[in-house]
Amino acid sequence: MKSTSRFHLPLYAFIVLAFVMCALPVDAHLYSTGMGPFYDGLMHFLISPEDIVPVLALALLAGLRGASYGRRALFTLPVAWLFGGLAGLSAMTTRPHPFIAAAWFLMLGGLLAADAKVSLRVTTALAALLGVYHGYLDGAGMGQFETASVGLLGLVFAIFVLIALAAAFVVRLRADWARIAVRVAGSWIAASGLLMLGWAVRTR
Amino acid sequence: MSRVDSRFVWVVACLLLASTAASAHEARPAYLEIKEIAPGQFSVLWRTPVLAGMRLPIVLKLPDDVKNLREPNVQELSDSFVERRWIDAGPTGLAGKRIEFPGLQLTITDVLVRVELLDGRKWTAIIHPSQPWVEIAASQTWLGVAGTYIVQGVRHILFGADHMLFVLGLLLIVKDRWMLLKTVTGFTVAHSITLAIATLGYAEVPVLPLNAAIALSILFLGPEIVRSWRGETSFTIRHPWVVAFAFGLLHGFGFASALTSAGLPRHELPLALVSFNVGVEFGQLGFIALILALERSFRILEVRWPRWAQLLPGYTVGSLGAFWTVQRVALLFGGSR
Repeated sequence: MKSTSRFHLPLYAFIVLAFVMCALPVDAHLYSTGMGPFYDGLMHFLISPEDIVPVLALALLAGLRGASYGRRALFTLPVAWLFGGLAGLSAMTTRPHPFIAAAWFLMLGGLLAADAKVSLRVTTALAALLGVYHGYLDGAGMGQFETASVGLLGLVFAIFVLIALAAAFVVRLRADWARIAVRVAGSWIAASGLLMLGWAVRTR
Repeated sequence: MSRVDSRFVWVVACLLLASTAASAHEARPAYLEIKEIAPGQFSVLWRTPVLAGMRLPIVLKLPDDVKNLREPNVQELSDSFVERRWIDAGPTGLAGKRIEFPGLQLTITDVLVRVELLDGRKWTAIIHPSQPWVEIAASQTWLGVAGTYIVQGVRHILFGADHMLFVLGLLLIVKDRWMLLKTVTGFTVAHSITLAIATLGYAEVPVLPLNAAIALSILFLGPEIVRSWRGETSFTIRHPWVVAFAFGLLHGFGFASALTSAGLPRHELPLALVSFNVGVEFGQLGFIALILALERSFRILEVRWPRWAQLLPGYTVGSLGAFWTVQRVALLFGGSR
């Protein structure tokens, strides 16, 4: 029974995700660098806290768990983001739910702060879920641009690089104080999520 | 450091492709020069680059209250379209007024704007497609001018897929840290020499053959990378810094064409040259640092690439070099794009 439920975890996650994405219309944008859509997409990711912070949190979490986790996140998240983005390109009327953005901050920040012993399967599911959800939102926001698919590549490239650097950085950390510092970063991310949640409730 | 692990670089190479496939040196900036010739009156030089007979679709739109003092003079050159105007901007001049560039947002190039006022104040800015207009400021320090050209240098590298691919090819051949240092230094010294020579007007290389030669330098590296993987040796593999220096001379002319095609005023050249070169170095070193950091990250994460992925970087460098060579040689001999 236990193994069956674990086996179905990614499936459940995607069902939840599908409901979430169908829920509301979205609004996003593509930052213009003037250097072509690839760099526009790359910059879009780098200046979007709601994108970059959860990715960073996941990379740090995977890094704390070890090289195999980092590797899994490195390939799962960008691929999921790409597929989510491609799916989102044709959907131009979705709106990111503020509770869900806050939930990502809270969950990933919390797991990181707690140095949670998540399994490789859960890490993969989290990466896939995060990638498909945020990719879909980005794709939906970028769909109005003719060169959105190239922008999406730039965005995915930035994600790939960030995960590789951040996860590898943490895997190399051996000193206790350094690993605690990473967990402190997780607590800040979770705290930011709480603030976002409060703000979302207040302005609802 | 062991040799830069080529197995991962395909990711970077492929994405480089996606970014700027065939646009390397073809995005020369447009140039607007405004000189105050009498209080409130200005001469305007507006130059838009032309490539293979096609003019960039950028229009100069001066403030509405500006009047022409005489008929504009339009000249079509082989590499650019030049318009000269003489305008009266009224007693307040152009300070604080907005000049627009409709159509710039549809391009991937920039406009270099330079303003000289009667009292000796000078002002330079680079206008990007993301904000296709400029408001003329009252003054600008030399630091501001330098900053403008540094940004232009960084952008040129980030936008120049051919330069990045050449550097990438060198990194794939380099075997140790000392050789990396020598190779990067050789490339830097060489392109700095020709950048300076060309910018200061001591030598000139036509853009089309130059671009074809730069493409050829990338094509040259493809077989060398494959040879290096097979454990074979060659002069390039033993002394990559020599090749970096030799081809760096070519690439320097390429950098210079990006800087000088706009027709910069001569008295600003030294500052522009140094700042632009600093920007190019920032961009280049940033790119190398990113590649090395990624390579190290992959080793820490124990990423094992499949065989096809291991082979891809060399073939990507070679194939793209071949593609650009054919494309640019066709352009050189008047073929269609």
